[in-house]
Amino acid sequence: MKRLAFILLAVLSWSCQEEVILPLGEKEDLVPTIEAFWTDQGIYNEVKITLSKDFYDSLNVEVISDAEVFITIPGTTKVIPFQFLSVPQSYRPVNPLEKARVGEKYQLNVRWNGNIYVSDGVMLEPPKVDSVTWSFEEERLFREEGYYIKVYGKIPFEEDNNYRIRVIENDTLKNQREDYLLFDDTFGLTFFEEGLELGYAFQENDRVRLELFRLNRDAFDYLNQLVNLLFSDGGLFSPPPQNPDTNIRVVQGDSEVLGYFMVSPILTRTVVIQAKYD
Amino acid sequence: MSLFRVLAVFFLTTLGFQSFSQDLKFISGEVMDVSNSEPLIGANVYWEGKTSSGVVTDLNGKFQLSLIPLPARLVISYVGYERSVRVINQNEAEKPIRFFLKSEEMSLDEIIIQERRPDEQVKNLDMGKSTVPIETIKNIPALFGEVDLLRSLQLLPGVKSAGEGTTGLFVRGGSADQNLVQLDGAPVYNASHFFGIFSVFNPDGLKTVDLYKGNMPASFGGRASSLIDVTLREGNNQQIHGEGGIGSISSRLTLDGPLFGKNSTFIVSGRRTYADVFLRLSSDENLKNNKLNFHDLSGKFSFILGEKDKLSISSYQGSDFLGLDEQFGLGWTNWVSAVNWSRVNSETYFFDLQGYHSRYNYSVEFDDPETGFEWRNNLSETGLKAIWTWLPNPKSQINWGVHSQYYNFAPIDLEPAPGSAIEPIVTNPKNGLLNNFFASVNYEFSSKLSTEAGLRWGLFNQVGKGVDYLYEGGIPGPEAEITDSLNYSTLENMKFYQGLEPRIAFRYLINDRFSVKTAFNRNFQYIQIASNSSAGLPIDRWILAGRYVEPIRSDQVSLGLFHNFNENRWELSVEGYYKDLNNVIDLRNGAQVLFTDQVETEVLAGKGWAYGAEFLLRKNIGKTTGWLAYTWSRTWRKIEGVSKNEPYNPRFDRPHDVTLVLNHEFSPSWSAGLTFVYTSGQAVSFPVGSYQVDNQVAPLYSDYRNLDRFPDYHRMDASVTWRNADKGRKWKGSWNFSIYNLYGRKNPFAYEFRQIYNDDINYDPSEDGEIVSSRPGVVMTYLFTFLPSITYNFKF
Repeated sequence: MKRLAFILLAVLSWSCQEEVILPLGEKEDLVPTIEAFWTDQGIYNEVKITLSKDFYDSLNVEVISDAEVFITIPGTTKVIPFQFLSVPQSYRPVNPLEKARVGEKYQLNVRWNGNIYVSDGVMLEPPKVDSVTWSFEEERLFREEGYYIKVYGKIPFEEDNNYRIRVIENDTLKNQREDYLLFDDTFGLTFFEEGLELGYAFQENDRVRLELFRLNRDAFDYLNQLVNLLFSDGGLFSPPPQNPDTNIRVVQGDSEVLGYFMVSPILTRTVVIQAKYD
Repeated sequence: MSLFRVLAVFFLTTLGFQSFSQDLKFISGEVMDVSNSEPLIGANVYWEGKTSSGVVTDLNGKFQLSLIPLPARLVISYVGYERSVRVINQNEAEKPIRFFLKSEEMSLDEIIIQERRPDEQVKNLDMGKSTVPIETIKNIPALFGEVDLLRSLQLLPGVKSAGEGTTGLFVRGGSADQNLVQLDGAPVYNASHFFGIFSVFNPDGLKTVDLYKGNMPASFGGRASSLIDVTLREGNNQQIHGEGGIGSISSRLTLDGPLFGKNSTFIVSGRRTYADVFLRLSSDENLKNNKLNFHDLSGKFSFILGEKDKLSISSYQGSDFLGLDEQFGLGWTNWVSAVNWSRVNSETYFFDLQGYHSRYNYSVEFDDPETGFEWRNNLSETGLKAIWTWLPNPKSQINWGVHSQYYNFAPIDLEPAPGSAIEPIVTNPKNGLLNNFFASVNYEFSSKLSTEAGLRWGLFNQVGKGVDYLYEGGIPGPEAEITDSLNYSTLENMKFYQGLEPRIAFRYLINDRFSVKTAFNRNFQYIQIASNSSAGLPIDRWILAGRYVEPIRSDQVSLGLFHNFNENRWELSVEGYYKDLNNVIDLRNGAQVLFTDQVETEVLAGKGWAYGAEFLLRKNIGKTTGWLAYTWSRTWRKIEGVSKNEPYNPRFDRPHDVTLVLNHEFSPSWSAGLTFVYTSGQAVSFPVGSYQVDNQVAPLYSDYRNLDRFPDYHRMDASVTWRNADKGRKWKGSWNFSIYNLYGRKNPFAYEFRQIYNDDINYDPSEDGEIVSSRPGVVMTYLFTFLPSITYNFKF
């Protein structure tokens, strides 16, 4: 799409860009941002709580370390407490063996500064990933030359088909706005059985780790809206910018809250790109 | 032509009453062009000093005017022609008189740029109506030298633009889909080329353009905010003429002349861009294989079928195409056709019948072995409209008629390419049948007070074939479960709405030069675009009123003062208005409307209101012409689910708007134009902070929409035209040099709030390597600074 934009702008507009300083408003109170993952793999389970900051502030966000965080299973007395760890700067389950189980509903509880934040999610069954292959491809429209990975699997579900694939290339998460790979069943799911090609060009000897999530719809919508916001250029063709709709509720206090709670199974695969496979 | 007749009849009857009773004798005659003997339609004929009792010539250039004591001086005037004054004595009055007018091109003593009576502004009933002569539009300095009708309308008070370089119009607080753009009576659903940079109308083929910002006649309706009524001109019946131009990005050619003798004429007009030609010259292989072009072609064939009947057939077809590497293609096409039959049953009774079909379609093709597809959609409107006009006495005019419209919004059709792994998408069609009955009366209560009262009754049925979904709790939403679906067969009623649309206007003439007018106007709109971006896209999805989406209702009241001075050379007007909008829609956060069959789950509905005052000082006659306009206005929306349910300003709320348009004729060879525009900045949302989520630094926005503003917008454009001295040659050429944004103002088109890596706004971490620094920043995009262009225009 970058080329499309380039052509339009080059031909039509002789457009120019420059950095400017605009006077921007500020929030009276910084807003807590909760980012909570609850999965079937303990290493992923954590809750990060940070505060928003002024737009031009280039320092790191302030981490909240004194919150009370736990997950409950509604209808039971089960409580899974979390504790703040200073090294990852996030909250982790006190019992690292605790993890999400398929079919169970979970409720995130965060208490901080007199406010209580709650969110719910259900652990869904994971799809099947049969194999991961790669092949060398010449340059195509919207695709550079390189090795492309295909994921083959099966998605047998009639509903809750909201997926995300995260890609870690040589220990670096691909996290630019164009790197998000989110898909649902709008265009069917046959492409997953016939091989879903990831839109990243890899080089030989790249070590690639894939993580497949099956999300609740509200978490999927949150990520979609986040990507749309990151792509918003503030121009006439963009919708008015809005914060993504959080799935976290404020049940006590008058604070705002940002972020999302994700309950998901995770399937992971790691491959090393080798030319012999081509 | 029907509009002309309505106006002609109006003047014949309502303005001719002052001095004479019906039993007085008449003088009759014919007005023609001296160069080709072509009848001049709509020429003004009046006794000197008695402009209010004048008439205009009919379809055949003929007129009939009440006699006054002779001898007396009879004045004939017509736009673009020298005024003719002749002393009429008793002998001459007894037989038809022929007047031959000389074109202004032969003598530029005085330029008249209006196709109407000099005192019309004061004496007619029009409020919120603007007429911009095509010749004026051609003289306005243009972007890329491309004369553009819609962009010219943006220079009128009460009309806002979506932003730099775009042709979208926002009229008195209405959104762009609330404008009915029609060509010879047929609607045009996407009136722009190149994603809104140019409008679809080739000015050489046009005759008139009327913008109704408020009080529409009862014979028009269907859109909540405005009517842009464009008519194609007719060919002359003497010999083949042509005109055209070669410009920076496109060329155009128009031919007109007799078709089968003097009773039938034709005109064909075409235009094409050559951006893709330049792309082929690129050394960049990626650019070389791309295509980017548009073309349009229009034609009109007119037949005089006898003394009483006239038939015209017109058609317009225009397409855009964007192709990348022969793998991706996006194209869209308007095809509009209309047939108009006008019949003069008697001197007091007329009939017009109009049939039309308008079709808009787009297609997106992606040639890819994995995910290739072909996505097509089209919508069409077919209509039939009959209008009867009756003049029972000189003080009254009565119109009535019926207008039937059938909307067909085809299903979204996305077909995978052979071998593609994606699955097809098929939605259900949406169809609507709208029958309107209307009547209006123009009546002169006295020499000072006149009125136009009208009523339009719309009966709308959403009809099958189609499907309605039922939701848990009866309210559609992204989380609502579908509990059932109802299938409807062809033309079966799905949902019915009806509404009365009263329109009334009064004019009180304080004196010959000063009048006060007031009007009320109600409109229902049964279709709208499901979008929340400010500029239209070719793939915008139109939706019909139905079970969950109610029709828009707009009510507008307006009050105006109109004053002409210095022998009608100057016009001054002040109009104030208040508009109320109900059932306008917006979209929920993250809405996906393009492929869903349940658009209602993505839509939010609410209300809006707008108010303002428009000042216009205009000079139509003389070597220097133009206007100065100032508008103060505010626009609001209040929609459940947006801006915490509080009122907010849409992007096009721009309270202050100043426009200066000047044209000056230095000599028969040299003329110049100057345009200056100043408006308040667009209402937008800027971030109030940032936060970190999912390894991203995201801008944080307030829950309240559009509390911020772009900097004020201003720009000056200039042009100079040089015409070859007229040496009697058939070929007449002229050069136009224009500069858009003369002083290079950097008006922002967009602001991006993002991370800037390595202190370089163009640094792309995925392509440019290691990131050594990262900080938040604001990147402004601006367009069109100091853009010169040159166009060669010709006539033969």
